[in-house]
Formats: sequence, structure tokens, C-alpha cells
Amino acid sequence: MTRIGMTANGARSGVNRRDFLNLVGLGGTASVLGGCGNTSIESGVELVQSYVQPESFVVPGVGVYYASTCTQCGSACGIMGKVREGRILKLEGNPQSAISGGKICGLGQAGIQGHYSPDRLKTPMLKENGVFKITTWEKAMSLLSATASFADHGARRVVLTGPTSGHLQILLKAMPQSGAATDYVVYDALSTAVEASVNLKMFGVDQTVGLIDKAGLVLSFGNDFLGAGDSPVAAARQYARFRKGARRGILVQVEPKMTLTGANADRWVVIAPGTEGVLALGLVRELLQRKEFANNLSPSLSAAVEPYSHAEVSHITGVRGDLIPRIAAMLWEHSPSLVLAGRYPQGHAHGSHNMAAIALLNVVLQNQGKTLWRAAELPFPQMAPALGNFKGLAELNTQMGAGEVRSLLIYGTNPVYSTPDFMRFADNLQKVPFKAAWVTELDETAMHCDLVLPLMSPLEDFGTHVAARQSDGMEISIQQPLMEKLHAETRSFGDSLLELLKQAKPESYKSFPDYYAYLKSGVVNAKPAFDPKVEDEEFWENALSAGVLRRPATLLPLPAIEFNVDLVRQPSLSAAEGVASGEAAYPFSLIPAVRPSMRDGRPANLSWLQESPDPLTTVVWDSWAELHPSTAKQLQINEGDVLVIKSAQGSIRAKAYLIPGIHPGSVAVPIGQGHESYGRYATNVGVNPLKILDPIFDQETGELALYATRVAISKTDQNERFTKDEGATNLQQGRKLVATLAADQVDLAKETPFVIR
Amino acid sequence: MSLDNLISNWSKLRVRRPQLDQYKDAPYKWAMVIDLDSCTGCNACTTACYAENNLPVVGKKRFLEGQVMHWLRIECYWGEGEESTQEFPEQGAAFLPMMCQQCESAPCEIVCPVGATHHTPDGLNSQVYNRCIGSRYCSANCPYKVRYFNWYNYPESAWPSPLELQLSPDVTVRSKGVMEKCTFCVQRLTEAKSKARTEKRNVQDGEVVTACAQACPTSAIHFGNIADSSSTVAKMWKAQQVELSADKQKKDMKHEKMSAAGEAAGTGAGAASVGAEKLRGYRVFEELRTYPSVVYLERIRSTEV
Repeated sequence: MTRIGMTANGARSGVNRRDFLNLVGLGGTASVLGGCGNTSIESGVELVQSYVQPESFVVPGVGVYYASTCTQCGSACGIMGKVREGRILKLEGNPQSAISGGKICGLGQAGIQGHYSPDRLKTPMLKENGVFKITTWEKAMSLLSATASFADHGARRVVLTGPTSGHLQILLKAMPQSGAATDYVVYDALSTAVEASVNLKMFGVDQTVGLIDKAGLVLSFGNDFLGAGDSPVAAARQYARFRKGARRGILVQVEPKMTLTGANADRWVVIAPGTEGVLALGLVRELLQRKEFANNLSPSLSAAVEPYSHAEVSHITGVRGDLIPRIAAMLWEHSPSLVLAGRYPQGHAHGSHNMAAIALLNVVLQNQGKTLWRAAELPFPQMAPALGNFKGLAELNTQMGAGEVRSLLIYGTNPVYSTPDFMRFADNLQKVPFKAAWVTELDETAMHCDLVLPLMSPLEDFGTHVAARQSDGMEISIQQPLMEKLHAETRSFGDSLLELLKQAKPESYKSFPDYYAYLKSGVVNAKPAFDPKVEDEEFWENALSAGVLRRPATLLPLPAIEFNVDLVRQPSLSAAEGVASGEAAYPFSLIPAVRPSMRDGRPANLSWLQESPDPLTTVVWDSWAELHPSTAKQLQINEGDVLVIKSAQGSIRAKAYLIPGIHPGSVAVPIGQGHESYGRYATNVGVNPLKILDPIFDQETGELALYATRVAISKTDQNERFTKDEGATNLQQGRKLVATLAADQVDLAKETPFVIR
Repeated sequence: MSLDNLISNWSKLRVRRPQLDQYKDAPYKWAMVIDLDSCTGCNACTTACYAENNLPVVGKKRFLEGQVMHWLRIECYWGEGEESTQEFPEQGAAFLPMMCQQCESAPCEIVCPVGATHHTPDGLNSQVYNRCIGSRYCSANCPYKVRYFNWYNYPESAWPSPLELQLSPDVTVRSKGVMEKCTFCVQRLTEAKSKARTEKRNVQDGEVVTACAQACPTSAIHFGNIADSSSTVAKMWKAQQVELSADKQKKDMKHEKMSAAGEAAGTGAGAASVGAEKLRGYRVFEELRTYPSVVYLERIRSTEV
């Protein structure tokens, strides 16, 4: 398998032999078909078949598979594209990738729809008097060059992107270094920067690697590793082994609203939002009473958890008192265990403290070196992913508001959609004299820019990607075009960056004619770490053919770090009561739920995902507000009643969906819908709960607290039918549809060995 | 075609199924095993089905009218009985991937007035689009509700250009007025069989899988040929003691007998008191005597917590 025959930017020069023959064939056939009812060349077009030798990668009637990398989330899963007659038909997993193992999620498969989207941006456009007018790349690049070379002390020229990794990340970092920009900001609306900061304080690394399949019991505090986690396919493959091991692993999930992972738990435990840390400390206290664990903590930490008795913890968290010693006992009985924390506990003013208290459980249980590790050192640390956070964007927002930002270049992120109203991001953006966005479709942020530039789709572009947490060896995922580009005027973001860098620092970049050349040289330079014996060209061809560069790597032990007791301390009861005083006006917690297929809203333009039912509610093409049936009963709310959900910052309207998997004091509205501009499939579908978030931030890191907003719910007199897949009931009504066995009633060892990839 | 010919062909088509040892000497009988303990309800399989089989996206309005075209859906259940008994779903949700069960005695086949849906020699319940006249009797008669009717001419609306370029040329794009359903990715089977025939052999185990099985991140869906006793799926059917041509499995009768005996002996707890380990394999609505080709493995939950 070789690289598809095209130049790096996919452009064809002039008329080649094949085009010429096509043209001749068209004329000849049309004259023959004249007698068959086709009276013009146009009416015979679909009947024209070329019998000349097609290009080497086209085998008529036979699907050919090319390896590439999925860019729908940051997991860097290896994928295979099925290509026929030069067009990509379907994406599948690449068995050579240790991350995907030949598997693929729904989000990944829908990547092909973004590529063929009818709403792709096809030409550069420049705003004149508030209206976008078609322009040329030459004009666009001259505007960008002028901006890049603009030097004025104090004026900022900022590059803002979503999370990236690999060689693109190297070029982006070079922007401020070379003077082509002054700042480089990475923003992720669903960032896990709180977790990274806590890991750094407690274990000395920002990313820990949890091995689910090595654990006898996984206790997860709202970590949706099977759904909207940071690598759902890799995690699902580990989960399958966890369930089918010699001893079937047990999953206990603690969270205020059920995630897809929670739906698969042996025991799902509902907890009051934000009190996860209290439960964790209660469990620590319980464990310390066993002699095996009694000496695992410093005296000051042991003393700090002393007040967290069953009764106290149960009172605060709402978790049944008898469950606390039971879970603690199971953590011990099913050792080694693994304690995971997800988005819910970090999304509060005391998010860092929550996360630290949960991490403390791993320390007490001594899971480091058993189920909890640090990733092996990357041979090329400069390629490591930039994961992004909220704080950087908040600072940029302040600078924009103060008129300090001269220009803003945006790629791979849509902050006008994903930032809360209180930030007034769109207004502040207007104070930036020059803003440009590289997009495949015009999203809300692009609509606010002066210049928009059409990107090639990820299936037309080259790239390298590195996953944040790799548990099985070390892998650089290679992205290559799976077909020629659909729209002639689209370009790679890498090419634009390289052009700006060449201008700022010609001596470093002039040897690279384009991004493809830069990338190829970068990959070939990595040869000594992977396969030093082969020739450069062969190494490059092999890398494209396999789609991954792999080398074995062993996980490293986590260092033990003495950390400050204050890190795990939970808000005192009196502070909790302070929250309660605000409860009268806004009695409910708002949970902006992250859907596995919608993430931060970027996939909303993909119609397969809009029509793919939400796993728990089966709702499609809409937003909804999840309420516990007991809450609904109290408020006399029925399914489909349109609710107004009001925070101190604003309000949204959504239909009520009654579901038992939620804390009765909460209302959950999924993130991802409510786009004002983002192609025909995303626009005017549902609402965006991120807009009404309160300005509450994690005290330690300054990250936006996603789950700390309080809201009031009022019922309107409207009721609308739900567009959902489930029928009149979601109960089995005695039919044997999904039968359930208790774990002790079955012996999995006696079953045919499972083939798990 | 003479009337005699027509009647004799009709009778062949309408042969009573399942027959004992029907696939004993046949090279292929395609079947599935879906492990509900591994299925996480993630919808990777359903999206794979859209991609593989040119399924149209119908949009909100038509979805609301019940005109969705997903051949494979994930059903989600919150309780086994008539009413929800627990305040919170302590054992999570129960997911069921549901697609055409390729019944050996398919209720849809016997009601089709034109023989558009019939049984193939390799055990598929096939749908011949250009024979279908759209009576929709088959859909009315399907207990699994897995047949989908083209109320609209989707090629006109579902793939606005250039989305139509993603359509697989191996799969017919269905037009208005015909019924469609899961085919076990028959285009993949045909290709594999054709390749094997050229090489003068049978399709080997693992050589061909359906798009859903291929995508499934937890490998919950197993697909294969149960006419080949050495295939993984055949072994799983055997290990689970599920007999294709039985409408009530021996192991279930035995279990019922034991639990009845347990109750008679006054131990009170019924089936649970039998103590014997249970096999997980079952077929949905087996009691309707449809003889499905899909075996589900029961979901497992630890009750320790």
C-alpha cells in the first residue's frame, strides 16, 4: 500500500493524460449515445465510462484500504479507509493500532460525513461591511502575512486552537517563538485541566494511566471512560478484558447523573453533585481502620479524614450509610482496585479538592504500580499533545475586552458557541481588529471573524497525532489523505502555518516547500527511534502503509510525593450551608451532560450522530432536560412538558424527560446542540446549556466549574412529543428481552474463550 | 412459466421450517451471538450499519412519525417487570442490540404476497427489493419490529451533494415503496463466498464479519457460520446448549423442572435456590417459534455491593 498519488496539497496541475482521455471519451460516447435518446453531452454524462487505465490506486469494483488516523477526538485511534474508484466509502478500525485495535466508535465513523458535508466552506471569504465576500488565497495570505509581521509593543497577536498534537503542535508552538504571533492559547471547553493539576501535585505527572483490565474492582467517580472519556475505544477494549478476566471485574460508579459508563456498572450510586470528595474521604477513613492500610498515610492526613464518619458522609452526600463500609470492604477484597475520577467531581469551586480526595483513595489502596502508572517517556516530547484548558481562554477574553489583542488566528475550536454568556466572548471578539478562522464549515466563531479560510477535511490531509495516555507501547499515529480533495480551494492548516513561519523565520523553514514536506521530514527524522535499518523513503512508505509508528514501552511507576493536607480538604459544613442560602431562588443543580457522540458540540453537523439515539433516553435531533421522576411528580411535570431552566445568567427552554438515573436535586441538559450557525444539520436543533453557566471557577486552577451552576425550573403550558427511539414503555414488562444473571450464578471460565481484540 | 411451474416453485419457497438437520450438509448457516454483558450500548454498531448499508438519515419530523430506517437499534430498558420498582437504577441500564433475527421460521416470510422476502440456502431471511410491492404485511407480522419501509424516495433527499459520494456501490440504494431490513451484511457474505469459491474452498471462520461486529469496541457481537462446527459461533451456540431448531431449549426445561422441584420441596426461593450455574444463552421471543439465528448471552451483574 502506498501513498495515494497526489501532491501534498492535493492540487493537480493542468490537464493530465487521464483528464484528457476522459474528455475525449465523453465526446465519443455522447455521439454514439445520440441514438439512445441522449441528445446532448450532459444527458449522457452518467453513462460515460472510461476504459483507459485508471490511476494506480484505483481498482474498479474493488475496495482498497488505506491507513490513517481519526481526528474526531484526541484519542488518535488508527483507522482504515475503504476507498473505491478514488472515493472514500467507509471508515473502520486499524488492527495495527494499539489504541483502536481494529475497532471504531460511532463518532469516528461519522468523520466521513464531515468530509462529504454539503455545507463545507469551499473558498476563502473576507467580510466587507458585515457580509462575507469570496476572496482568493493570495489576498487572504497577504492579509495574514501583514498581520504576522505587525510589530507594535503591547499589541498581542494570538493564535487560538483546540487541543492538537504531533507536528502541527510543533508548528503552533513555533508561532510565538518565531515572532509570527505573540501568544499561543489552547482551549478545550471540556478540559480536564483540574485533574492534570491535581495529578501533578500528588504524583508529579499531569497524566496518570489507569489500567482497567488489571483491576479487580473499578470505583469510578463519574468517569465516563466508555462514553465521553478521553479514549473511549481503547477504554472499551480494556473494559471487555476486565469483564472477561479469570475473575470478572466489578464496576462501581458514583455520579449525580448516569453516564454511559454508569449504565454498565454493577452498582450505580447516586450522589449529591459536588460531594464526591466527601465520600472519598469517608472511604479513606473506613480503609484506615483496617490494619493493612492503617499506616499508608501520614498522621496529618489520617487526622484530616477523621471527621468523615458514615453518618456525616451519608448526610452530606446522600449515599446510603451502609454502602460506605461495604464499598470500602470491596475495595480491599477485590484488590487490586482502581479509583477513577471524571468530569463531575472537577466541575466545582472545590474541584481540585474533590479530585485530590479521590486520588487519595488510590494512594491509601497503594494502587500505584499495580493499576495506576505513568506513561512511558515519549521519544519526541515536542509532539506530546497540548490538551487545552479554560483559564488561557479566560485571560485572552480579558485581553480582548481591554483592546489589547491586535489579531486572532483561530483553528479547531469554537469558543463563541462553547463559552458561557457571562464571558461576553463574542462581544470581546469584535474588539479585535483582525480575526481569521480556518474551518471546514462556518461555525459561530467563524461567523464573527473577518476572514474565513477553507480547510481540507481530515480525510484529505496529512498529519501526525500522539495520544495523551498510552497504556500499550508508544505510538505515533499517521494521518494521510484517503482521497483527493473534494474542493479545489481548500488547504491544509499546516500549509498556512508554514507560510507564516517562513516569513517570520525563513532560515528555519525555507527548505520545506509545503507542510507535506515538513511532515515527511519530521517523520523520517524519527526513524532511529523506530526502525533505524531501513532507507528513509521505505520508512516513510511503511509508516503511511501501517498508519502507526510503534515501539514497545513500559509504563513507569508513579513517584510518591508528600503533598499538603489542604489539598484534600473539603468545604466545611458551614460553607455548604452558604450554598444552601442560594437554594431558595435556584433550587436545582444544573448538569450540562457530555454526550459521547456530541462532545463539545463539534460533531453536531454530522447527521448520523444527530439521528443516533442518545443511549439512555433514546432521544434524537433535540435537547432535553432530564429530571428524576420523584422531582417531576413534586413539580407536576410530565414527559414532554416544556420547561424554562433559569440561572442567574440566563435561561433555556427544553422538554422534560423523566429518568431514574439522576440525583433528584438536579436537572441535566446535554451539551452539543443549540448551534446558531454550523451547517444544515446542526443549526436550530435544541439548546446550549453552557450559555447559562454561572461564573464559578475551581479555586486552585481557575478552570470553569461546569457542574456548579444553580437553576430554577418552571413549567410552561406547552407539551411536545419526544422524537425518540423507545416505544410506549422502557420496561420489559415480563418479557425476556435483556435477561440478567447474578455474577455468582455463572461461571465464565466454562464459556468458550472470548475473542477480544 | 406455466401454472404448474409456478405452484411447484411456490411450494418450494413455502417449505416448512425449520427442518431437522436442515444445515447438516449445507456449507453455510450464518448466525450470531451477542454478549449483553459486554455490550455497553455505545452505538458504534448502529453507526457502522448506517455506513455499510447506505441507510438514509430521515430527519426529526420523519423520525417522530416512526419512519426511522435504522436496521440495527439499541433498546434501553430500566426494569424487568411492569413497573419500575427501584427509586434509582442500581444495576444501570439494560441494553439490547436488536436487528433482524434471521428467523428460521420467519413470520414475515409466510405473509409476503409476492415472495419478496424468503429464506436463502445459507439461512438468511432475504428481502428482494425489486420484487417487493410494499404491502408491509411482513412488518406487521414481525414480532421484533425490525423491518423498515421506504415511505419516501430517500435518494432524492437523504444525501444532498456531495454526501451521495459516500454511498457504497455494493449495496442497493432503496427507493420509495419497498421494505428493507438487516441483511447480515449480505454483500460482505457474497464477496467472501465468491472469493472462497474461486479458491475452491469454503469461507473460513473469521474471514467475514458483519459491519456491526467489526466495529464493536468490546467485541460483544460474534458472527459466523454455524454449519461449520469448528467456528467460534458454532462453539458458542453449542456451549450455551442452544439448538437452532428447538422452540424450547432442553436446558431451560431442565432448569424449570429443578426449580419447580425446589419449590415443591419447600425451599421457597425457586430458581435461585437451585444453585446450579446457569448458561447465559437465550433467544428473544423463542416461545413464538420463530427460531431466530441470534443468540443473546445474559447480562451479568455482581450483587456484592
